[in-house]
Amino acid sequence: MLGFMDYVQNAFYEASHWDRDNSYGTLNATSRNVLDFSTPEGLRFHVSSLSSPNFATSYTLGSIGLVDGSLSYLYSSLPLLGLAAKSSAIDLHHVVPGYRQLQDLRQPDEPWWWEIWHQGKRIDRRETLLYGRLFLPRSTLEALYLRRLSPKTQLKVSCVSDSRLPNGGTILAHLQHDAAKHSTEYIYSTDSALLGVRGLYNFGPDPPPTHPLFEASPDSTISTANEAAALATAQTHSQPHGRFSAGGEIYYGLLNKSGGISTGLRFATLPSHTGFPYTMTLTLNPLMGNLSSTYSVLASPLLTLSSRFDFNVYSYESELQVGTELWRRKEKPLTDDLNWARLKMGQKILDARSHDQNDMAGCLKARLDQRGSLGLLWEGRVKELLYSCGAMIDLRGGENMFRGFGVEIQYSS
Amino acid sequence: MAFNFNWSPLTADASFYTRAQELLTTALNKSPKPPIIVDDILVNELNLGSVPPDLEILEIGDLAEDRFRGIFKMCYTGDAFLTLKTRVQANPLNTYLSTKPSFTSPQPLAASSGLTIPLQITLSEIKLSAFIILVFSRQKGLTLVFRNDPLESLKVSSTFDAIPFVREYLQKEIEGQLRTLLMDEVPVIIHRLSLRLWVPEYREREDEELARDLQDSFTTGEKPVDPLASPPQDPVDSSGNILDASQIASLSLDSGPDMHALFSQKNLLRLSALTDSHRTLSLFTPAIRDVVFRAWAGPTERGEMHGSSGRATPITPVMARSQSYTGNSSTTYVFSETGDAGQHPSRPGISSYVSAASGLGLGSNKHGKPHGGRKRKHRVVNLRKKATDGDDVESVSGESTTASGTMSSAPSEYGAELVTSERCDGELVTPPRTPEKPAVQKEPGDGTPLRFKNLTPRQPRRDDISESTPRPPQYTAPLPNSQSQSGTRTAKRPSLRPTDSPQATRYPIDNRPKLEASASSSAPLKQLSPSPMDESSSGGMMPQPWLTKMAGEIARKVQDQKAADSGFWDRNNEAQEEPPPAYGS
Repeated sequence: MLGFMDYVQNAFYEASHWDRDNSYGTLNATSRNVLDFSTPEGLRFHVSSLSSPNFATSYTLGSIGLVDGSLSYLYSSLPLLGLAAKSSAIDLHHVVPGYRQLQDLRQPDEPWWWEIWHQGKRIDRRETLLYGRLFLPRSTLEALYLRRLSPKTQLKVSCVSDSRLPNGGTILAHLQHDAAKHSTEYIYSTDSALLGVRGLYNFGPDPPPTHPLFEASPDSTISTANEAAALATAQTHSQPHGRFSAGGEIYYGLLNKSGGISTGLRFATLPSHTGFPYTMTLTLNPLMGNLSSTYSVLASPLLTLSSRFDFNVYSYESELQVGTELWRRKEKPLTDDLNWARLKMGQKILDARSHDQNDMAGCLKARLDQRGSLGLLWEGRVKELLYSCGAMIDLRGGENMFRGFGVEIQYSS
Repeated sequence: MAFNFNWSPLTADASFYTRAQELLTTALNKSPKPPIIVDDILVNELNLGSVPPDLEILEIGDLAEDRFRGIFKMCYTGDAFLTLKTRVQANPLNTYLSTKPSFTSPQPLAASSGLTIPLQITLSEIKLSAFIILVFSRQKGLTLVFRNDPLESLKVSSTFDAIPFVREYLQKEIEGQLRTLLMDEVPVIIHRLSLRLWVPEYREREDEELARDLQDSFTTGEKPVDPLASPPQDPVDSSGNILDASQIASLSLDSGPDMHALFSQKNLLRLSALTDSHRTLSLFTPAIRDVVFRAWAGPTERGEMHGSSGRATPITPVMARSQSYTGNSSTTYVFSETGDAGQHPSRPGISSYVSAASGLGLGSNKHGKPHGGRKRKHRVVNLRKKATDGDDVESVSGESTTASGTMSSAPSEYGAELVTSERCDGELVTPPRTPEKPAVQKEPGDGTPLRFKNLTPRQPRRDDISESTPRPPQYTAPLPNSQSQSGTRTAKRPSLRPTDSPQATRYPIDNRPKLEASASSSAPLKQLSPSPMDESSSGGMMPQPWLTKMAGEIARKVQDQKAADSGFWDRNNEAQEEPPPAYGS
């Protein structure tokens, strides 16, 4: 389950029209969400609040053997007005990352759209997000500085300060440039002076020119698979049904003289696709001979299936992982009993989702790999609390099958 | 002095190698491995070669049945080799990221995907040269410390020898790892291992085996070493801290494996509770069976102990005492009874030793029973300084073998006190003792009855104990004498004075001992409230019952030792003529 701060941060991306999916780093986000979910350990409480549209706080108290906790604060210069901050109102799809439905590409805003003039002077600012988190007993400090430099670029600087790290901490600067058709990223980490470049190119026709901001506002909420499915039915005109993307990344550590390289391909269906949505990726690490292919499918609005196959051409090691994500709806309130009446009157039954986005009771994620390691995660909502409990089970472990178990509880207002 | 290793039977034993390989495998996998190693490290092959290490004794600080301290010099240039198998992560980005916080990780998509490669490493041509400090005691286990970096050179050959970069990297990494392993890990592993062997559950089973092993391993070195030639004068532990005499005395407490079985963990706890309650004026006194509880030594006594501890030599083994006194009295020597030492409540960790003392006392009593009073006679030592006129000093010693029961028992009681005999150079240290002397010396006149009142055990003595002690009659007779005439004791006891010891010796505290024994054993008086007098005098007071028993036990041991190894002891006496060089480290 995403933390509240990640939730707010994603809301900031949405509000500032930043497409997180159009990046090489998120090429296989769907399969990672379904297969690489992390299970909580121990007991952990989060209490969070979006006290104003610009400011959020979150406190965490956890216990894995010993008690630890963290304090975090977030400031966004962009008011996050429409954000559902109450844990009773948060759409579970936004905090339980699952199948990432790609949206149609959208031409970036024109720079002049962002200009605000007042009495002959430009008064607009670059939108900025500041975030800090202090882990208490360990005295580790995390800080994030996020700034939309222009409609096409975003700068992200993240720092960790910890006395146990070499040099007392690290800084990662991440400059992203998204031109819809292609996106590039430049990365620099002070840790061993790692330099990195990533790029992604989307094949297919250029995206249609977008309308000015004030017209594009209705769909400025967080995109989800369900919304996408709803939109898919709504859109009818001829659009590409899928998108093919190719990308690559290269890293080089100046100090330790080591590097890494990988290339990747992705084909994903777009909302206009009439069948069930699916995503296929293939990544290759030519240096290490690692080949990884994933296939994820949104079999129904409530079910995602994903599989991944890794193969190393040098060591002939292979690995297979399968995972699933299964959603459960809340019991319908009695109002839906009127459906039979509508049927009689010849009306179409409205999809429940279309008028109630927040009707999910919970989500079960499970993954299994060939070595018999099973991960289970159940996330949902009870009253006003979001909970997430997970377990790691080793099916071949014999007596000590349970490798980890944890419960995480979130409350936000 | 050097050891002559019998290397071949060790290496010829097939089961030794398999066991050593298992031990090494577990040891290597116990500590967290660097992220580059992704699999367990398996010891594939181990060969100690045919060349034994060259071990040289530089110093023996302390030597007894149950403890040992020494410094060795070890050189090894043998043909031993070790082959390890493991799997390593070949992707540098993968290992790089695994050690970094995820918050600032660039989160590469596939560039960090792993490639694990099986790796075989052979370590050979190991050259070691080190100074080793080895401290062994039965309570505290075995401590082994390298004083310097033991690894001189090492040859690392691996699967990747063809790639010079990898070879150099591995060579560097493994040398560094091995250095830290030898300097930090090995001492810890050895210490823990030795401690685990003495955990009560394992103790009884392991003790005999270990004692045997220990004897085996030291047989070569022990013979030529004269333990008495070098009583440590400045006992220090491996880190250079000066050991308290009581601390060392407590270590020498248990000389046989059978002793350990005598007291259980539960009793140790009770005894520590007892001392605690005493310190805090608590009225609660935990009940301990078969034990007579005495007030611990008062503050003056404690001060004495600590004051003299830096200077006084902690007693070396039990058996060493007779020699030291028979020999030249110039040997600096502390005869501190174990019970005495354990009695110190100011020493936090030592509460267990208190119990040890008591347990030992009881045990020895039981053990001593068959031997009767006869065996107890070899009470040793007493180098006491008469403080009557300040200048008049003499040493009083009990005859070890020939003395009559009464004679021997009396000195033994004194021996219970911390007795410091100063060297001939006349360097007299009479630290905190002086103030209390007047009080002690006044006592003799009516001291006996007084002590009877004050010191009777609060808990009535158990019958079996008093019965089992054959001594009471022997003790009681001489006591009044010595007590009443303590002022002129020097004159009264010519027989106790060794002819060749005119040196400055002084005994710290005197006479109270005997009374206790007699009182407690002969007529248990009930419930005499401790008077202020008791408080003051109990400063020098020993827990008598177990002291006497201990003394008996010790004496018995000395006797046995003597009987078994008389030649050895004789030689020791000769060696005693020349005081050994002082030790410091």
